[in-house]
Amino acid sequence: MIARRDLAVRVAVRTDLSPTCFRIVVATPEPFAAVPGQFAMVACGEGLDPLLRRAYSIAGVARDGERTLVELMVKEVGRGSSRLRRLAPGAELKLLAPLGNGFTLTAAGGARLALVAGGIGLPPVLFAAERLAAAGAPFDLFLGAATAAELLDVERAAAAAAACGGELVLATDDGSRGEAGFVTAALARRLDEGRRYERALACGPNPMLRALARLARERSLAAELSLEEPMGCGVGVCLGCVVELADGRLVPSCKEGPVFEASRLAARWSA
Amino acid sequence: MSVRLETAVGALRLANPVMAASGTFGYGLDLADLCPPERLGAVVSKGLSPRPRPGNPMPRIVETAAGMINAIGLQNIGVEAFCREALPELRSRAAVVAVNVFGAALEEYLEVIARCEREDGIAAYELNVSCPNVSAGGIEFGHDPALLEALTARCRAATRRPLWVKLSPNAPDLVATARAAVAGGADALTLVNTVRALAIDAAARRPVLANGIGGLSGPAIKPIALRMVWEVHRALPEVPLVGIGGVETGRDAAEFLLAGASAVQVGTAIFREPAAPLRIIAELECFCAAHGVADVRELIGGLQWR
Repeated sequence: MIARRDLAVRVAVRTDLSPTCFRIVVATPEPFAAVPGQFAMVACGEGLDPLLRRAYSIAGVARDGERTLVELMVKEVGRGSSRLRRLAPGAELKLLAPLGNGFTLTAAGGARLALVAGGIGLPPVLFAAERLAAAGAPFDLFLGAATAAELLDVERAAAAAAACGGELVLATDDGSRGEAGFVTAALARRLDEGRRYERALACGPNPMLRALARLARERSLAAELSLEEPMGCGVGVCLGCVVELADGRLVPSCKEGPVFEASRLAARWSA
Repeated sequence: MSVRLETAVGALRLANPVMAASGTFGYGLDLADLCPPERLGAVVSKGLSPRPRPGNPMPRIVETAAGMINAIGLQNIGVEAFCREALPELRSRAAVVAVNVFGAALEEYLEVIARCEREDGIAAYELNVSCPNVSAGGIEFGHDPALLEALTARCRAATRRPLWVKLSPNAPDLVATARAAVAGGADALTLVNTVRALAIDAAARRPVLANGIGGLSGPAIKPIALRMVWEVHRALPEVPLVGIGGVETGRDAAEFLLAGASAVQVGTAIFREPAAPLRIIAELECFCAAHGVADVRELIGGLQWR
C-alpha cells in the first residue's frame, strides 16, 4: 500500500453531476494509488476559510502519461464544498491521501459481491465496482437516491456492472427512476429471490447504512460499511469522528475506518 | 545569515522553540511519517489519566470562523498504555517528550506522575488544570488559586523533572492563577488552553456539540492568548512561559516569543496540516534571518510596549 502524503495537486477537470453534486479530478506528478474506500483530506480554501480540510472518498485513480489523476465526487453542502466547486482547471490545492482503510475486494472462489451506494455515497462504491470489473470479479451494483436527478454517474455504473455480467439496480425514494423505495429494500428483494452474496460493500447516508446493517444481521450477510462521520483531522489525532464499536470502544472513524465490518459496530447500527 | 533556534524552557533545553500541543499530535508517533517528533522542540502527549477514558458523546467538534470548538472529554489510552506502546519508540527516536497529566482528583495526577517516574525519556510534565470539557477535576484546580497551588505542590514533591502548568484563559484572574502555580513549584507555565465557547444550531435550537459548551482553539484565539502571555510575562518576568493559541505561521511564533514565551505549541494547525510544526520552524528561521535576529532567544519578551 502506498504511504499517505500531503500532495500538492492541480485541478484537471471539474464537471457537474447533478444540481448539487460535482466531479473534481486532480492531477499529481507523484506516484499515487488507493484502495476503494480510502479517502483524502482536501484543503478547499485559501487562508483560514474554511479552517479544516474536508474528507472526500476517492472515486478513482488513473494514470495519464506522466501524471496520476485522482477523482473525487462532492456534494455542495457548505463553505468548503462550494469553494471547491468554484475552482477552475489549473487551480492548486493540497490533498492528504490515501487515508483510512478501504473495502475488502476479494471474494472466495468467484463468489458474488453486492455493492450498495446511496446518494453521494457513490464514490467508493463506483471505485470498487470499476476495480472489480477490471479484475473480472462478479458483483451486482445497487444505486439508490432520493430522486432520479440525484442518481449520479449511472452510465459509468452500468458499464462497470455490465463488464462482469452483473446487474445494475437503480432505486429512488420517490420512484422517479428504477425501483421505488430504499436501495436496501431492492437488495432484500434479491436475497428473497435466492440470490447469494459473499459480502455487501456499502456507502451512503447513515439511515441507509443502518438499514443495511440490520439486513446483514437478519440474513447473516457479511457487510462492510463506509461511514461518513464529519472529520476534523482525518489522521486520528483530533478524536472528533469517533464511532462506537460493539465492544464499547470509541474509535476514530478516520483511522480505524472509514470502512467497518457491520458486525464490529455498536448494536444501535443494526437495531 | 545563520540563525540559532535553540531555546530553553527553564532548565529544559530545546533544539527549537516549536512543540506539538497536547491533544493534537496523538501520543507522539501517530503522525511520525508526516512530522517526525524528533524534529520538533518537543512533543506534548495527549492528556493522560491513570486509566483509559472513553471521552464525550458525539458530536465533539465543530468548525467556527478561523477556529474550532471541541469537547472531546480527554479520551485517552491511559498512562500505562502510553508508557508501554509509545514511549519506547519516542525514546529511540530521541524525541523530547512532555507528558500532559490529567486527573479527576489530586490522587490521579500523582498516579500518572508516579507511573511516568519509572520511565526514562520523559523531559517534563505538563499539568492539565484547564480542560473545559470534563466535569470533575481539571478545571476546578485551574480556576481556584489555592487549590492549584496545593495540586502543584503535591506534584512538585512527586518528581524532580520540570513541571509545567497549563493555564486556563477562563480563570477569573489569570495572573493570580499563574502566581499560585509558581508558588506551588511550577517551573514553567503553558498558556493558554481553549476558550470556553458555544456553537448553536439555529434550526434545531440546540447546541451543536453533545456536551453543549466546548473549548475554542485556532487563529480566532491568538490575540487573546498573546495578551495573556504578555500579562503573565509582565507580572512574572522570571517565569518561563510556553505560548499557545492559534499559532499557524513562523511569524505567529515570533509574536508569542516577543510577548514573553520561551517556546510555542502548535495545536489546531496540525489538524489542517500535519506537518505544520516543521513549516513553522522553517518560517521562524526565515523570519529571524530577515530581521537580523541571530539567536531566536533575542525575541523572548522583546515586545516594546508603548
